[in-house]
Amino acid sequence: MKRVCCGRPVFFVKPESGMNRKIMNIYVCVKHVPDSAATITVEGGTGINEKITFLLNPYDEHAVTEAARIKTGLPDAEVVAVCLGKPTAETTLRAAMAMGADRGILIETDRPQDSIFTALALAAAIQSDGRPWIIFTGKESIDSEGMQTQFRLAENLSLPVATNVIKVDIDGDGVRVESEREAGTIDVIRMTAPCVIGAGKGLNTPNYPTFPDIVKSRKKPVRRIGLADLAIESPAAGMQIQELVPAVEQRTPRALTGSAADIAAQIVDILKNEAKVI
Amino acid sequence: MTKKYDAIIIGAGVIGAPIAYELSKMGYKTMSVDKLPDAGEGSTAGSCAIVRAHYSTEDGVAFAYEGFKYWLDWENYLDHVKDEKGLAKFMNTGSLLIKSQGHKWQNVKKHYDAVGVKYKELTNEEILEMVPVLDLHEFWPVKRPEDPAFWEEPTKMLEGGLFCPEGGYVNDPTLSAHNIMRAAEAKGATFMFNAEVVKIRAAEGKVQGITLADGTEIDAPVVVNCAGPHSFKINQMAPGVWEGCNIKTKALRHEVMYCPAPEDYDYINKGYHQSDGDIGCYVRPEVGNLFLIGSEDPECDPKEYPDPDEFYAGRGGHGRDNQLTEEQWKAQCYRLGRRIPTLKVPNQPKGVCDLYDCSDDWIPVYDKSDLGGFYMAVGTSGNQYKNAPVVGRMMAELIDACEKGLDHDKKPFQYKMKYIGRTLNVGFFSRKREINYNSSFSVNG
Amino acid sequence: MNSIGLLIEFNDGRVKEANFGMATAARGENRNLVALVADGPAEDAQAVLEAYGVARIVNIRSGNRSWDPARQAAAVAAAMQKLEIDSLIGLTSPSGRELLPRIAARLGAPLIMDCIDIDLEAHRVRTSQYSGKTIATIALTGSHFIYGMRANVVPALKEPAEAEIIDFSFDGYQDTGYEVIETRTDGSGAHYLAEADIIISGGRGLKRAENFKLLFDCARHMNASVGASRVAVDNGWVPYAMQVGQTGVKVNPKVYMAVGISGSVQHFAGMKTARMIIAINTDENAAIMANCDYFAVGDLFEILPELEKALAAAKRSKEVA
Repeated sequence: MKRVCCGRPVFFVKPESGMNRKIMNIYVCVKHVPDSAATITVEGGTGINEKITFLLNPYDEHAVTEAARIKTGLPDAEVVAVCLGKPTAETTLRAAMAMGADRGILIETDRPQDSIFTALALAAAIQSDGRPWIIFTGKESIDSEGMQTQFRLAENLSLPVATNVIKVDIDGDGVRVESEREAGTIDVIRMTAPCVIGAGKGLNTPNYPTFPDIVKSRKKPVRRIGLADLAIESPAAGMQIQELVPAVEQRTPRALTGSAADIAAQIVDILKNEAKVI
Repeated sequence: MTKKYDAIIIGAGVIGAPIAYELSKMGYKTMSVDKLPDAGEGSTAGSCAIVRAHYSTEDGVAFAYEGFKYWLDWENYLDHVKDEKGLAKFMNTGSLLIKSQGHKWQNVKKHYDAVGVKYKELTNEEILEMVPVLDLHEFWPVKRPEDPAFWEEPTKMLEGGLFCPEGGYVNDPTLSAHNIMRAAEAKGATFMFNAEVVKIRAAEGKVQGITLADGTEIDAPVVVNCAGPHSFKINQMAPGVWEGCNIKTKALRHEVMYCPAPEDYDYINKGYHQSDGDIGCYVRPEVGNLFLIGSEDPECDPKEYPDPDEFYAGRGGHGRDNQLTEEQWKAQCYRLGRRIPTLKVPNQPKGVCDLYDCSDDWIPVYDKSDLGGFYMAVGTSGNQYKNAPVVGRMMAELIDACEKGLDHDKKPFQYKMKYIGRTLNVGFFSRKREINYNSSFSVNG
Repeated sequence: MNSIGLLIEFNDGRVKEANFGMATAARGENRNLVALVADGPAEDAQAVLEAYGVARIVNIRSGNRSWDPARQAAAVAAAMQKLEIDSLIGLTSPSGRELLPRIAARLGAPLIMDCIDIDLEAHRVRTSQYSGKTIATIALTGSHFIYGMRANVVPALKEPAEAEIIDFSFDGYQDTGYEVIETRTDGSGAHYLAEADIIISGGRGLKRAENFKLLFDCARHMNASVGASRVAVDNGWVPYAMQVGQTGVKVNPKVYMAVGISGSVQHFAGMKTARMIIAINTDENAAIMANCDYFAVGDLFEILPELEKALAAAKRSKEVA
C-alpha cells in the first residue's frame, strides 16, 4: 500500500462503509517535549541537555482528551496514542494512556527527526496498526514549533486536515470542526472521515488522570516499533539543525519616575521619539 | 567610612526581621543586611507558611502554640504599622493530624494536653464528614512510585485523627516578612538590601562587624546570623563559630507541589491544613483551589544538599524559578492521589523548589556562639515559619541577657512566653546539645 | 534570475503592511520577486507591490468562492510548479499557518515557520525554538523551499520596480473531503496579536475583567492590540485568544507594554523578542522590571488614565499638524 509520487511515498487510506471495529480507531499522535518551565541548555552545538523534565506536549493533552471524549459515545472505538521518540518517550505514552488512550505505539528513534520524516513514520506506523477514523495531533509542538506535522501526515495519508481546532462534532460519515483562524475568526469545516485534526488550546480542558486512572494505565500495552521495521525510504527533502544557541536577552531597564502624569508623558515621548510607533 | 550600630542582623527573612524588630523595641540601633532586593525574598518566599501546633517535643508544641497567638494578633504585633503592600493574612482553616505510623501522634496528644492546645479526637467517619474526598486506607510505609510496592492495594484502615481548630497558614509569607520589616523600621531599625556579607570581622574573641561584597564595613558589638540556607556559610566566616557548634546546619533541597483540587471539592474555602504521615505529605489550600502538597521527607526520598550559592545562582536570586523534578512531582502527587482518589494530577509539575536550612536533628539552633557577640537563629529545618515572631522576641531577650553578662552556656536563659505563660529553657535550642532523638527528623520538627 | 515567490495577504482589500518587510527581505542580486495573490485583488495591489520591488504578480484563481485553504494551497503549489518558482516566503500569520504547511506538504518541500532571518541562497534560516529560549539555524534541503517569516523582523524599504500581472487559473483541484462551510467573526475586529506593532497587555494587577477597558482605551489612541497574561485568562477576565506567552500567542511587536504583569518565564516566552518592553507595576521586584527597557513603579489605575489622556493629546496634535 505504498507508492512513490513526486519523490515521496504516499499511503492510502480508503474509508470503508459500516462501523466495524477496525475503522473506529482514533489515533492520537503525541510528542515527548521538554517542560516549558525547564531551563534549556544547549549541548553539542545542535542539541540540548536532556536531563530535564519531558512531558506530553501541551496541545496533545487537548488531543487525547478530545479523543477520549469522542470514544465515550462509541463503545467499539479504540484510542491509540502514537509517538516517535527515544525509548524514554514511553512516559509520554503512559501519560496519554492515563488520560484515556487505550494503548500506545512507540516508534523508537535514537535522535530527533524533522517534521517530514516524523510525518512519514507516523503515517507508516498508523498504516501498519489499523485503519484510522480520526487522527488527532496537537496543533504544534512546544519544542521545535514546526506547525506542520499534522499537514504532512494528512498529505502522506491523502486525508483532509484542519488545524487549531476548538470544537469537534461527529457529523454522519464525517466530522464538523471549528478551527480558530485568528482571534475572533472561526472557520466551520466539514471533513469526511478519515481525517486529521490538529487540536488547539480552546478545544477542551485537559482531563488529567486520577490515581486510579494512572493505576489502570500501567497495565495498558505499548507496542515498540523500530524505525527499520517501517521501511521508510529517506525523503529527498529535509530540515537539519546546524546550530542551536541560547537566545540572548540583555536589556538595561531604565526607570520612569515622577507623578502618574509625568510617567504617562515620558511613555508617550518614548513611543514617539525612540520607538517611533506613534 | 565605617558605619556603627548596636546590632547587625544578617538576613531579612521571616526570622531575621522579627529579631531586628524586637531588638529595636528594646532600644538597640539595628542594621539588617540581606543579599536579596527585599525582605522575605529568599527561602521565606518558598515557605508553605503553615501554622500548626503538632511537634514531636513538648517544648516544640508550646513554642508553636505561642506563635499561633502572634499570628492571630498580627496587627497588634506589628503595632498597627502601615505597609504599602498590605498585610499578610492568617487563614485559620483548622489543622488535621491523621493518626498514622508516620507520626508519633500519641506523643503529640500528650504534649497538646500538657500545653493546653485545643483539639478533638476524630474517628474516620468524623474525618470523612469534614473531608469527604479522602480514602482512609492505610498506605504505610511511605514509598516511591518507582517501588512496585507503591502500587499494592491497601487492606487496613487508618484510625482517625486529631483536629485542632486553631491552625492554618499565612497567605503570603514574603509579605509577612515585609510587614515585620516595616514594623521594625517604625521602631528605628535600618534595612540594607543587595548587600552580601563576605566577612565577619572579629578581634580578641569578640565580633567587631561585617564586611560587604562592595567593601562596605559595618561595625557592631552584636552580629546575628539569620541567613537561612546560607547560615552555615556565615557561621564558617566567623572565627571559631562553626567549630564550636555540636549541631551543624546545611542547605537541603526541597520541593512543594501545587495540584488542582477535585472539581467538586471547594478546598480553598472549606478545606483544612492536613498532616498525613501515612503518605508522608502535608497539604493546605492555595489560591486557585489548589492543594499545596509538602513532603514530610520520608526516608525513601533522596536528599540533596546543594551549595546555596550555586542553587540560587542565575535564577533571579530565589528558588521560585528553580526546577521541580518529574520524579518528585509524581511521588508527592501520587501519594496524595492515593488519599484523594478524585485528585487529578496534571502532567506539568507546578510548585516551588527551595532550600531548608536543615540542622542535624531538624530542631533549630537559637543560641549564642563561641565568638563573643555573635548569635545565631539557624537550622530552622522548614518548620519554624510559624514560630518566627516568638523567635524574634526570644532571641532579642537572649541577646540582651547575654550582652548584660549572662553565661547562657552555663546557666541557660529562661524565656517566658507572654501569651501561654510557660517558661522555656532556651538551652533546648543550644548549639552544644547532643542530637535530640525525640525529634521527628523531618519538617515536623 | 532566481524567482522568489511572495505569498501576499490582504486586509480589507489592501496588501498587509507586513508583506513589504517580507519583500524587502527577499530582494537581492539576481532575484526576481514574484507576488503570488491567491483569490485576491491582484490588480489593485499592483502599485504598492511595485513600490517594493515586485517584478511579477501572479493572479491565482483557485476557483474558491470563499476562504478554502486546502484549495488555495493546492493552487499556489501548482502555480509555483508551473512558473518554476522554487522558493516561497509567506507570513507566519493566521492564513500563513494554514497555507504554508499545506503548500509544503503538497510539494514535499521543507518549511520553517516563524523565521527571524532567511538566507535564500544557502537555504538557511534562523528561528526560535524551545519557546524562545534558543535560536536555531536550520538548513533546508529539497527541490522547493517554503519559509514562514515572523512579521516585522525586517523593516520595509521601498525599491520601485515595474510588475507584470500573470493570470493563473487553477482547475486541477480534486476534492479531498475538506470544506469550509462557514466563517464566523465575532465582530470585534481585533488585530491579530502576533502582527501588532504595539501591544499593551494586562495581568494580575488589572484585578478584574472590567478594568481591561483601561487598556483598550489606551490602545485605541495608538493603534495597539490588547494582550493578557495567563493569570488574566485563567481568571476569565479576557478570552484565551488574547493570551500572550508560552501557551498563548507569541508576539514580536516594536513595543510591548506589560501592565500589572509580573513577567513569569512562560510569559516571557511569548514576548521576549519585542524590540522594546515597557513595564508598569506596583512591585519594583517583579521579574519583568529587571528584564525590560523602561519600567515605572506605580499604580496602573493612576497611570493608565493619564496615559490615555497623553496619547489622545499626542494624536490630536498630530492630526492638527
